[in-house]
Amino acid sequence: MRALRRFGYFLLLAASCFAVPLQAQKIAVIADHLYTMNGGRPGEPGMVLISGGKIEAVNPGANAQAPAGYRVFRAVYVTPGLIDTDSTVGISGAYNIPHDQDEDETTDPNTADVRSLDSFNPDEMLLKYVNRYGVTTVQSAPGPRNPIAGRAGIFKTRGPESPLATADQLAIRTESAIIFNLGDIPKVTYSEKHKPPMTRMKTAEIIRKALWDTQAYQEKWDKWKKEGSDVSKQPSRDQKLEALGPLVAGTIPAIFTVYRADDIITAIRIGSEFHLKYMLAHVTEGYLVRDEIHKAGVPCLVGPIMERPESPQTVNATYEIAALLEQAGIPMALMTGHEGYVPKNRVLLFEAAIAAGNGLGMEKALRAVTIEAAQILGIQDRVGSLTSGKDADVVLFDGDPFEYTSHVLGVIVSGQVSYQGK
Amino acid sequence: MSSRVVTESLLLVGVAAILPIAIANLRAQEPSPHETILLRGAKIYPVSGSPIERGVLVAANGKIVAVGEEGKVEVPAGAKVVDVGGKVLMPGIIDSHSHVGISPSPLVSESADDNEMTAPVQPGLRALDAIDPADPNIRMATAGGVTTANILPGSGNVMGGQSAYVKLRGTTIEQMLIPGAIGGMKMANGTNPKGYGRRDQAPMTRMEEAALARGIYEKALQYQGKWAAYNKAAAANDKNAKAPDRDHELDAVVEILDGKRIVHNHSHRADDIMTVLRLADEFHYRVVVHHGSEACQVADELAKRHVPVSYTMVDSPGGKMETINVDIRCPAILEKAGVKVAFNTDDPVTPSRLLLRQAALGVRGGMSEEAALKGLTIYPAEMLDLGSRLGTLEPGKDADFIVLSGQPFSVYTHVLETWIEGQKVFDRSNPADLHYATGGFFVANHYPALPEGAK
Repeated sequence: MRALRRFGYFLLLAASCFAVPLQAQKIAVIADHLYTMNGGRPGEPGMVLISGGKIEAVNPGANAQAPAGYRVFRAVYVTPGLIDTDSTVGISGAYNIPHDQDEDETTDPNTADVRSLDSFNPDEMLLKYVNRYGVTTVQSAPGPRNPIAGRAGIFKTRGPESPLATADQLAIRTESAIIFNLGDIPKVTYSEKHKPPMTRMKTAEIIRKALWDTQAYQEKWDKWKKEGSDVSKQPSRDQKLEALGPLVAGTIPAIFTVYRADDIITAIRIGSEFHLKYMLAHVTEGYLVRDEIHKAGVPCLVGPIMERPESPQTVNATYEIAALLEQAGIPMALMTGHEGYVPKNRVLLFEAAIAAGNGLGMEKALRAVTIEAAQILGIQDRVGSLTSGKDADVVLFDGDPFEYTSHVLGVIVSGQVSYQGK
Repeated sequence: MSSRVVTESLLLVGVAAILPIAIANLRAQEPSPHETILLRGAKIYPVSGSPIERGVLVAANGKIVAVGEEGKVEVPAGAKVVDVGGKVLMPGIIDSHSHVGISPSPLVSESADDNEMTAPVQPGLRALDAIDPADPNIRMATAGGVTTANILPGSGNVMGGQSAYVKLRGTTIEQMLIPGAIGGMKMANGTNPKGYGRRDQAPMTRMEEAALARGIYEKALQYQGKWAAYNKAAAANDKNAKAPDRDHELDAVVEILDGKRIVHNHSHRADDIMTVLRLADEFHYRVVVHHGSEACQVADELAKRHVPVSYTMVDSPGGKMETINVDIRCPAILEKAGVKVAFNTDDPVTPSRLLLRQAALGVRGGMSEEAALKGLTIYPAEMLDLGSRLGTLEPGKDADFIVLSGQPFSVYTHVLETWIEGQKVFDRSNPADLHYATGGFFVANHYPALPEGAK
């Protein structure tokens, strides 16, 4: 019966997908279970109207009739587009050969000046792959190997049916956060090169020194401006310290990549020492220091939920991590991170499913990949819920989004159909 | 996929030694194996037949005595009755491709024992000599309902050594090994054995991989012939008959040629899979294609030879070029073509706890639920020549089964209990076991509990 129903939805979708120029489309999405994520009763029937790439209106009710001139899509479950809060998709390609690996500039432990924007390949097959599973927004961050890895960007994804686009066109934020990597990976990377850091002490020192230097650099420039901006006395410019400027000024956040509990505490120590706006990513052992994280008021990007309990810093990974942090009142969204081998990329929908099935439950898991994710990243004016005026990023499912055997029927990004289930 | 390079960036020197490897043998091993037990009320998937809505399973002395509808199965006197009403009961899951114990957790260079990268053809190696029964991955596997595994050497070599067919219980490898099962032989082709090429050693091409494989089989054929001639002469009391020198490596290869040992061949690309079939055709041996990322492209070739596939379901394509066409729909295409498909974890590539999920993704990709259940039970049993002993719930078979909280292919379902030969080896209601299902067993004393009823 369910298969028949699904086939019916597919036919409707297939019949309606041709001929209309994508840009000008008006779309009506009718759901048996609509999850707007902006209040109201989740899971009730309803309709989302899309026009000009934005959400025009959200109408509740089982008997919603699409106005004339709208392409109609129907689905059992409809949610906002999913937001992966920390990933290397777009800069770490599927083939895993030097040609398509652009995430780790391991020539210097401080590469604050690099941006994922300048590596981001909008035609990367993994970007289209995650789009097929409902991911419409990603924060794509430099990789795990440098203590100061560079600046992340937040991008829309493209799907198999999306038109061509540039990274700049897909960007919601070109410089969304500074990435600091703590723990095993930076010190292992540089130990192999017989260069610092080879200990956690040094990783912390590299970050702290860069932040002091940035403060001093800012003061130097402030002083120069105050003393008349004499060009002949202009301080010499430093690209890395300038990149860290907005962080020290509090206009962009830092993301600390942390697995072990002691690394989490180090991140909190540095964050509070420099009064940073910051968040924690991965947070594998976060359940051991829940009170400290809560007290610091720091939001967590949690995941991947299916993290292998394999490396010394992930042996204590638990499928309940999201539930345990949420229960402690810690603001939390989900992420997928970076993968070095097979599979080359994790799928946010699949990670959220394991969180849903291990204590978090369906609705909270959905919040953690939509509205909570948008709020933590500060992009809730654009994405994260099905709200009039926001980008029309919508995912259509034939069942509970997190069930293993459900299917994505269609994905809409900025009002354009990017993927249709086959 | 080779586990050797899964997270090479994370391999640390000297850290393993300081981690508290607290592997306790705290399992409540009751009832005794000789006791008769009766589980009643569950929906039973015997796999050998249709599901039974309210079923009964009786086991004694480690074997299944009876399976049937409640009320229609005689209750043996003195049986210990376990009420599993509302639950689901199915055969223990068989992982036909695993590296638990040989790529243990935490995986660092000191603990990794799967790839002996000193020569590309090493049939004399035995996985059983390197398996650590205390590896927490083994208990985590039982927390995911896995009861039997084919533990293989890695895929760095053309012929990587003998695999071990084990039950996931016991404190020594001898207790784990399935009596009478000599195990399989690991072979690999495609990208991984070409790793030797980076050191300017053979093989550096697929051509050489095939040539090396052909070479060992030709050698083994000759060796087999010499022994046959000697045995014949000795039987005829020929005084001049001289026994050939024993070669322990070739003995293992002759077991392949004699049909006693199945070849488990790591292979991703369609052309590599055809090379596997070409060699098996030439030397007339039984083979299982492992991983099979592009197996659906040669489904008919596999079907006409009755070669099964132990499929590695991964969440996204790539990571290396030969897995670029991994597709969730592949098992369904193979099923349709008449190829028997088992699901594997390739643990640690996918943690064993997720094997049920991997089959569920096969259903998402279009496979029937029936074939997906068989792909976790009877098909992998057959791939290990253990189909008469394992893989279904039928009288006379080993009492290896699992109790689930709901439908097998739902993300909201948990494995509640895992039983091996009539003994419970995992019980989710036991806090010492729970953390092997969720994670966090090294720090169980500090692990905060979720409130009751958290779904």
